[in-house]
Amino acid sequence: MDGQHTLRSFRRLSVGTRLAVGLPVLSVLVLATGLVSLRLGPVPINTLEVVWAALSTVGLDGPSIDRTAQLVIEQIRLPRIIVGAAVGMALGLSGTAMQGLFRNPMADPGIIGVSAGGAVGAVTAIAIGLVDLFWLALPAFAFIGAALALLLVYGIAAVGGRISMATLLLAGVAVNAFLGAVISAIIYLIPSEGPLREILYWLAGGLDSRSWDHVRIALPPIAVGAATLALTARDLNLLALGDDEARSLGVRTGATRTALLAASALVTGSAVAVSGSIAFVGLVTPHVLRLVLGPDHRVLMPMSALGGALFVMLADMAARTVIQPAEFRVGVLTAFVGAPFFVFLLIKNKRQVYTL
Amino acid sequence: MIPEKLRALGLAVTLGLSLILTACTIPIPSTEDIPSATGAAPRSELRDVPGIVDPDNTGWPRTVEGLNGTTDIEALPERIITASVGHDEMTVALVPLERLVAVGASSKDPTYSNVAGLLAEKPEISRDPETIIAQDPDIIVTSPYFPAEGVEALERVAIPVVQTALAHDAEARLNNILLLGYIFGEEERAVEFAAEVQQRHDKLVTVTGAKDVRPSVLALSRYSDQIWVAGDGSTEGSIIEAAGGVNAAATAGIAGHQTISLEGVIVMAPELIMITQPLAYGAEEFRQDLLNAAALAEVPAINRDRVHIVDSKLFTTLSYWNIRGAEELARILWPDDFPNPPAEGFSQAH
Repeated sequence: MDGQHTLRSFRRLSVGTRLAVGLPVLSVLVLATGLVSLRLGPVPINTLEVVWAALSTVGLDGPSIDRTAQLVIEQIRLPRIIVGAAVGMALGLSGTAMQGLFRNPMADPGIIGVSAGGAVGAVTAIAIGLVDLFWLALPAFAFIGAALALLLVYGIAAVGGRISMATLLLAGVAVNAFLGAVISAIIYLIPSEGPLREILYWLAGGLDSRSWDHVRIALPPIAVGAATLALTARDLNLLALGDDEARSLGVRTGATRTALLAASALVTGSAVAVSGSIAFVGLVTPHVLRLVLGPDHRVLMPMSALGGALFVMLADMAARTVIQPAEFRVGVLTAFVGAPFFVFLLIKNKRQVYTL
Repeated sequence: MIPEKLRALGLAVTLGLSLILTACTIPIPSTEDIPSATGAAPRSELRDVPGIVDPDNTGWPRTVEGLNGTTDIEALPERIITASVGHDEMTVALVPLERLVAVGASSKDPTYSNVAGLLAEKPEISRDPETIIAQDPDIIVTSPYFPAEGVEALERVAIPVVQTALAHDAEARLNNILLLGYIFGEEERAVEFAAEVQQRHDKLVTVTGAKDVRPSVLALSRYSDQIWVAGDGSTEGSIIEAAGGVNAAATAGIAGHQTISLEGVIVMAPELIMITQPLAYGAEEFRQDLLNAAALAEVPAINRDRVHIVDSKLFTTLSYWNIRGAEELARILWPDDFPNPPAEGFSQAH
């Protein structure tokens, strides 16, 4: 009872206050998780070495450390952690935007077909053997697939001129189902075991062997998309009041929706391209944070970015360490943790969960 | 969605791993060479073979026990289907080729099958039981990866089905051969062939087993950026042991096939790495990536340039061809003891 009261009180605080409290807390948690994650792994590296290696990576000199430890931090752990954080950030942001835009608590980054489109692109690249020719083919095809899926959904919804959110949602459902069938068909028809294995593992979502190249691929589009989403947070609040109300308050509803969809597709497509399908992050993160912080997207957007990053980083840390030196799939872990937690939230907070 | 995918993978792997023959390895026995097993004297070698219900019964009908329960075989099977690469590899060594009426796609694929060349012209079956039924088989032998509902569907149309496990250790491998020979009514040939396989294995381990210092070996493959390692209980692990090495992954506590990061390779510090994925699926690229990874520079296998791409099908199939894989690896580990290439294939049925 006291907890519920405290939450309600916190949600009544001003946007600035909530951000002033929430952002440092989550930022510190993300940074701490990053440092702990850098420290953990099959190769034993002590905390001081982690600190010196991390400083060295960003160009600050410190005492020299074991070369293998330095390389493990620099070439293996750090890029993987950064990619994980970026992916989590993208999924958290995109999930928040989709739930707000569709006014639907079940919306997630995949609702407009972007994740499935990315999956079809990646699966195609694997099935036709392009990934064996050059590694960039997989993220490139995933990204192209995600973009084409968005265009398809948007094109279907735009038939007749005016785009309604209901049509967009249904088009997303239809395209998702179609793309799922395409993936199944490719899996069914592929004759060889090798590509089949690659496809199945990619679909399970993971951050294995992420490198600085993946960081370079993912970060710029995610940064651009994240900035766009952050700038539309106020308009997203107003869209929740209804189109007429939003327009009367100066929101260009059509342009705002298009920007939100494009930015969500950009960040989701980029995330899928470097990590495969990581489930539940975009669905659970906004839910949890909305319960704590309230529905204002000016607070939710930045906090979901950090919350998503934290979720994926923690999942990846667990994936790397629970059965080391072997590894687990991050996408499987997020679903294992996310699904029961989501059900718990649904049961415990029936009323709040549906307040967008 | 996931179970469907996994099922599809299992089926594809099963069918894939079952259908190949490198044409030059196992000659095709002629029909006249088939000895009549009906009423033949019982063989003592069959006594302790799991799955043979009554080893003294060498006539028909006979009963075997598989993973799907007991199966009565009414008469000598003339039209055989063995729906996995490992089973197909054994079958072509035990019976004339014409008795094997159809095979899965993987058994015809030289990437995965050691008998692909022999099976190139065979009709192809799929995971759909109808494709199997259409071949009018007398008997079907499947691996555990064949779906239970598929086995039931085949049994419903009164085709005897025996689902048997395929093992990678030496003793179980011999039992696989003897059981298949009994199912096919080819006990004499099975006993003879099992002895040949045993002899070849013993010849190898007589040398490799005497080694006091055994190098640590890591079997790796990479699919979609995931690095897979073969640990304890894996086919690759048994090959490493037979070749006189120590499976570094098993030593590190890894069981079966697991994914690892490059860090895992550093921790296991193998003296030799063998890449077991097919060349067509990026084995050479993987090798170069390992050799060029700065973080791996201190790993003995890397700094001594001991990263070898091996013939995938010898190391991943589940049949006597694993011995050939062990012979190849032994040549890499102990070149002075094994200066000459091993025999290409195995004997033919007579």
